[in-house]
Order: sequence, then structure tokens, then C-alpha cells
Amino acid sequence: MTSAPRSSSRATSATSARRRAAAGRVWREFRSSRSGLVGLVVLLVIVLLAILAPVLAPARLLDVTQIDNPINHPPTWSLPLGTDPSGRSVLVTLLWGARVSLLVGVVATLLSMVIGTVVGMAVGHYSGWGAAVLMRVVDFFLVLPSLVLAIVLSAVLARGVWTIILAIGVTSWASTARLVRSQTLTIESRPYIERAWALGAGHRTVIGRHVLPAVLPLVLANTTLTVGSAIIAESTLSFLGLGDTTKPSWGSMLKVALDSGAATGGFWWFVLPPGLAIVVVVLCFTLVGRALESVINPTLRGR
Amino acid sequence: MAELVFDDVTITYHPPGRDPVEAVKGVSLTVPAGGSLGVAGESGSGKSTLAMAVLRLLPRSATLTGRVSVGGHDVQDLSWGKLRALRWSEASIVFQGAMHSLNPVRRVGEQIVEALELHVKDDYATEKAREQRMRDLLAQVDLDRSKETSFPHELSGGQRQRVMIAMALACDPDLVIADEPTTALDVIVQDQVLRILRKLVAERGIALLFISHDLSVLASTCDRIAVMRDGVVVEEGPSHEVVTNPTHDYTATLARAFPTIGDPTSRLRPATRVVEEAAPADDPAQGGIPVAPQANPDERPILAADNVTVRFHTRAGTVTAVDDVSLQCRTGEIVALVGQSGSGKTTLARTLLGLHRADSGRVLFDGAPLPASPKELRPFRRSVQLVLQDPSSALNPRHSIYEAVAEGIRIHHLPGDERERVERALDQAELRPAAQFTSALPHELSGGQRQRVVIAGALALEPRFLVADEPVASLDASVRGEILGLMLRLKRRLGLGALVITHDLGLAWNIADRVLVMYRGAIVEEGTVEQVLLDPQHDYTKKLLAAVPQLA
Repeated sequence: MTSAPRSSSRATSATSARRRAAAGRVWREFRSSRSGLVGLVVLLVIVLLAILAPVLAPARLLDVTQIDNPINHPPTWSLPLGTDPSGRSVLVTLLWGARVSLLVGVVATLLSMVIGTVVGMAVGHYSGWGAAVLMRVVDFFLVLPSLVLAIVLSAVLARGVWTIILAIGVTSWASTARLVRSQTLTIESRPYIERAWALGAGHRTVIGRHVLPAVLPLVLANTTLTVGSAIIAESTLSFLGLGDTTKPSWGSMLKVALDSGAATGGFWWFVLPPGLAIVVVVLCFTLVGRALESVINPTLRGR
Repeated sequence: MAELVFDDVTITYHPPGRDPVEAVKGVSLTVPAGGSLGVAGESGSGKSTLAMAVLRLLPRSATLTGRVSVGGHDVQDLSWGKLRALRWSEASIVFQGAMHSLNPVRRVGEQIVEALELHVKDDYATEKAREQRMRDLLAQVDLDRSKETSFPHELSGGQRQRVMIAMALACDPDLVIADEPTTALDVIVQDQVLRILRKLVAERGIALLFISHDLSVLASTCDRIAVMRDGVVVEEGPSHEVVTNPTHDYTATLARAFPTIGDPTSRLRPATRVVEEAAPADDPAQGGIPVAPQANPDERPILAADNVTVRFHTRAGTVTAVDDVSLQCRTGEIVALVGQSGSGKTTLARTLLGLHRADSGRVLFDGAPLPASPKELRPFRRSVQLVLQDPSSALNPRHSIYEAVAEGIRIHHLPGDERERVERALDQAELRPAAQFTSALPHELSGGQRQRVVIAGALALEPRFLVADEPVASLDASVRGEILGLMLRLKRRLGLGALVITHDLGLAWNIADRVLVMYRGAIVEEGTVEQVLLDPQHDYTKKLLAAVPQLA
């Protein structure tokens, strides 16, 4: 009796050793892409700064009642990015805004990926009227102007970061579902799936052992690419005044800049930083995503 | 007229991060205008690399030394424009993978016309002339006119290969390079294709470079044969001499790989690489003996079809793929189901396995109709196993050999030590020592080893019956005999029965006890191997036998 668990754990350790080797290979190939590496490093620095925001710039620096900076002041040595119309340091707001923007971007993307992967695999794997109906639902979400739906959702639901996450998550999964569906169809046409059926495999085995592992790398690459657009969507919704007004985000900074006339008043130090921050983070995610994509799909290399 | 000359050609691949590989080493060959040369060899012998060099189709990581010249021009020195003119209109190539060489989203007729448009010759300047030419070409390769509006996926493998040949002939080339053009085809279509190529050589005087692993195919088509191994030409000479009186051992092995039907020395004794290993006729455990135990005809069949009919509904209407077929398979008996591509044999196999539903009739397992629900099918799934044609795609590339073999054990929750079961199955499939293979990935193994893994995955469930769909069609000639020998030994040792689907009559002669001949969805002849293959009654069986290329 003792031999069975030992041998299966031996098999598992062999499997995990191979997984580790595979991960090492992915990392080596990723490292060979210079742009992907630059994106990853910049991204890690930004994430670190966002996490350390409470240490670097305590929350009281955002409290208008506790600060005495001049308002709309251009950058100086003590206030490197100047101040906003309430007298808060733009640098501090930017740091705290990164927390919200990155959180929304990552969590909304995860939500969208989970929905997209589950629906995509279901539509690709099963046939029949159920799958056909589900496919039409995917098409519905695909053609729906997602921004409008997100606006409606965040207007109907209670205001807050999680509402924004939900609004972005449920409106952006359709293209992932399409992608996963086509990959599922490709995998399922392979003879080894037929072999699995003939061995007596059920749906769970076919999906869990064959389809999901083959779909995941694609989903991973797609995730990093989608984070960028989720961050932009968050900024858009915040800019339209649908975000959480108590927490600064890069989008809400832009909204304040517009509302207070900073944008038209020539206070460039308040308009440019959040805009550039969005551009840099989205670019980094895209660079990392592209590099991952070319690791997974070597035919894209050199394009 | 174009003469093709290889002069001391060496081709080296430089894969990034690895040592350079010499695929072709110092090869000198000549194909005279109007002559034909066959190049024989197994996978990895460098024969395809040689073919690619003619049209300068090698990847950038390959370097070529020596000289390849077509019609007196060194291919390496041609300008891009001249090279384009050479490709297709002077020299054209027929690849082996017709499925991947055709555009999947365009109708095949358009694709043939496209080849004419890209290399306009004055003869086919108008659209009408081109369409006429396309129809002539389809007729030349014996394809029905209605197929010109088909998409590649709607055609069978043989039909697709014929479209490829029609495309290659489109611009009246002087030199045709055929890289395993008939490997995926059944004997009848292969015979037609070989006839077309022979006719072109004889009547139009084209030069033909024909690459194949099957010496009998080359012998029936080419004037001369060169045998390649590991990048070197080991033997070259007139076809008849090479196949009947080979001077090199390797040529002899290749010549032996495909049996002569009616030759008693190869009956129930497939050729293997090392003859002594597989044919100790006095050791019953090793198999390969003519005195095989006969299955008891009174025994209840393990798998039977009872008036099974399967129809497909396509754009063109309803196609009856399997037409009122009844058959019985018993354990301890190997039944060969032969027929050409499109005869419905694969559909019949899928229906017998419960992977496809019969429109009428019943499939009986152990005398009872096949249940419909997945749960009730479990005992059936364990007892009857499938072996697929192409072992490289029948294994998940991400799963180790251990996982591939253990898959069925896990699905059926078999008791006992999993590793022990896996190693026993690998051992039964003659992958020894089993422990050495468990952690390997499929791409690290050779084709024959992969097919053994597929068989081991089936054996792990201790089945009573195997359904094998073209189990050796995509394997090298010398490996073919080993896999067939394995199936014979499994029958002897484990009493395993098998239904082997094949277009290769030699295979039936090698291992089968009974033969069923299938034609257009119906079984037209049935009987023991000797009855059917030596004394065929039905016209179609006679036609099949006549189409088998013979060595001498």
C-alpha cells in the first residue's frame, strides 16, 4: 500500500520538475527580448512604488485640511511636480493614483479572463443548442459598445472601485472568449483528443488534461495585453466622473484637471503626469505581452 | 529540356544554439532530360533536403557547398527573377503533405488557375483557356469535374494529393520533383499517379526526381534508383538491378520491408531490421510463426456490426459512407479491413468504437448493443482500444510518455500501483527498459517508438481488442515490420484481437488472419487471407491486387 502514493508522488515530482524546466525555458526566451525586459523592469518599479506609497508619501499628504501648499504651483525642488487646484502635491496624488489604476487594471482583467476562458472553452467544447445560444451571447457582448454598458453599470450600481472593476470585467471578456474558442476548436481536432475519447475520457478529462493546458499560455499573453486597455477604461470611467471620488486615480486626476480649468489654464504639470503615467504603464504591459506572445508562438519572432 | 545535376553537394543545417548538422554529404547524382531517378531512404536520410535544394527552397540556416544545376544553370547563381521563372514553369515540386500545401479557404479549381495566372504562358493567356487547362489537368489526375469547386477540406487525402499533382503539371514543367507524392495514397490512386508520372516521362520527356521510402514504387516508375542513408548515397544503379540484386545491406533491408503477396516466407512474418531478432521460428513466445492459433469461429464475437449504415449530410447532399455492413471480430484474431481512401473504412471503425453514431443497424459488444450513455460505455472503452495512424499527433506533445500511458489508467481508476502498470504496458509494447522512456516527451522519440507508446497506452487498460487505423502508414519502412511484428506477438501472448484498417494489402498478407474488402461503403469480399488475396473473386479485389507495385 505504501508504494502507490510514493510512486505517484515520484511521478508528480517528475512532472513538477518538467514544469520548472519549462518555466525556466520561457524565462530564458523572454529575457532575449530586450523590449519585453525593459517593460517588465519599468513595470516592477511602478508596482513597487505603488505598494510603497503609504511609506513614501503618508496618506495625510492627500488630506486638504492638513496641507498648506500653494494651489496650482509650478514644479519646484520641494514639490517636484507642482500642486493641484486643492494644493495637494501632484507627485503624491500620482503615487496613490497608481494603486487604484493598477488594482482596477489587473483585477478587471483577471475577471474578464476568467469569464472569457470559461465561456470560450464551453462554446468550443460542447456542441448543441446550448453552446449556440452562448455563442450568440458572446457575439452580443462583442458588438455592444462596451464603454456605454460600463457607464450604465457604474451608474446603476453603488459607486466605488469594485463597481468599476465589475463594469470593465463584464464588458471586455467577449474577445477573449472568441480567442479561446478558436484555440479550443484547434486542439479538439487533434487526434490525441480522439485517442482520449477512445480511452474512455469524459468531458472533465478532455477539458482539464488536454484543452485547458493548451489554452492557458494564450490566455496569459492575452492577459498582459488586456491590462493596458483595462487601465485606459478605468481612466475613461473616472474621467467621466463614475469612479470613486474619495480615492485619487489617474483618470480622476485628469477629470479634476479638466473641471478646475487646469487643462485650459496652462497648468501643464497637472495634466501631463497622469497622462504620461497611463501611457507608460500601458506601453509596459504591451511590451511584456508581446514578448510573452512571441515566446509562446515562435513564428511571431522578428515581426 | 532540363537536366538536373548534383555535383558533390553537401548541405549543412546550423540550428541556433546547437551543433551544425550535415544533412547531405557529398552527393553526386544526375537526372538526364527525359529520364527519371528515384531516391530511396528513410526519414532523416536527407532526401527531402536534397529536393529542396533544387529550387533553392532551403531555410536560411542551411548552407550548400558543391553545385546544383538545372539545364546547365547553377541554381545558386540565379537572380531572384530567374529563380522565380525556374520555379514552377521549368521545375515544379509535389510535396508529401498535400493538406498543408493547399490554401484552405480557396476552391481547388481557383488554386490551379492561380498557378497558371502567376506564370502566364502564351498558351493560356485568356481566362477561358486557363479554365479549360484546369479541367484538362483535373481529368489527367482522374478527378471529377465537380471537385473543382470543392475546398481542400472537403476532399480526401488522395484527392488533395491529386490536386497538388495537377498544380505541379499546370505550367508544363521540364523537371518534376516528387517528394513522397504517393505515401498517403491507397494503392489504386497510387497506381494512377504513378501511371501519370510514367506517361509524362515517356511522352513529354520531362525529367523526374522521385523521392520515396518504398523501393517498389520507385522500381515501377524510375529508370535509376539511388539509395540514401544518413546523407550519403550508399548505392546507385539501374532500378531493376538495385531492387533484385542489392549490393548494400541497407538496400536489402528496404527491399524486404514490403512483402510480395503470395510469398510464403513473409506470411505472418513481417520483415524487421535485424532478421535474427524477430524470426526464431522455434520459439513460440517470439511470434512470427506460421502456426498461429486460429480463433474459434463458434466463439461469440467480441465486437460485431449488424447491418450498420452511416450517412453524412454535406453541401452536395447525403453521402452513404457505410452501407449495410455486417462483420464479426473475435479475440485472438487479426482482421484486416482493406479498401481505398474514401471507401468508408475509417467511418466504420469510428462507428464500431462508439465515436460515431450509426444511422441504422447496431454495433454489438459481447453480444449486447453498444450503450449510449458514457457511464455504461466504460467497460466497453476499457476492453476495446484505438491505435491511430499518425503517432506524432496521437500523443499530446505536452504530456510525458508516463502521462500518456497513465491517462487511461487514471480515467478508469484501475487499482494497484500506477507506475508498475505503466512500466508493464511499456514493456509489453517492447519499449525496454521501460523506466528509461517514462520521463521523455513524444518529440524526443522516433516515429516507431511513438507508435509503441500509443499501443502501450492501449495495453495499459488490459484490453481484449484493438482497432488500429492505418497503424504503420506514417512510419518508415524498417519500423513498419517491427510494429506489425509487435501486433502479431501481442495476439499470441495476450490473445489480443485486432481490426486493422489499411489500404496496404501487403500488411494484410503480413499479419492478418481474415480480410474484409470494402468498396464504396459496402463489404464486397470476405474470407481468409489466402482465399481473398490469392484467389480473389470480386472485380474490385482483383483491381486492388493488380495495383500493388511489385519489386521485380
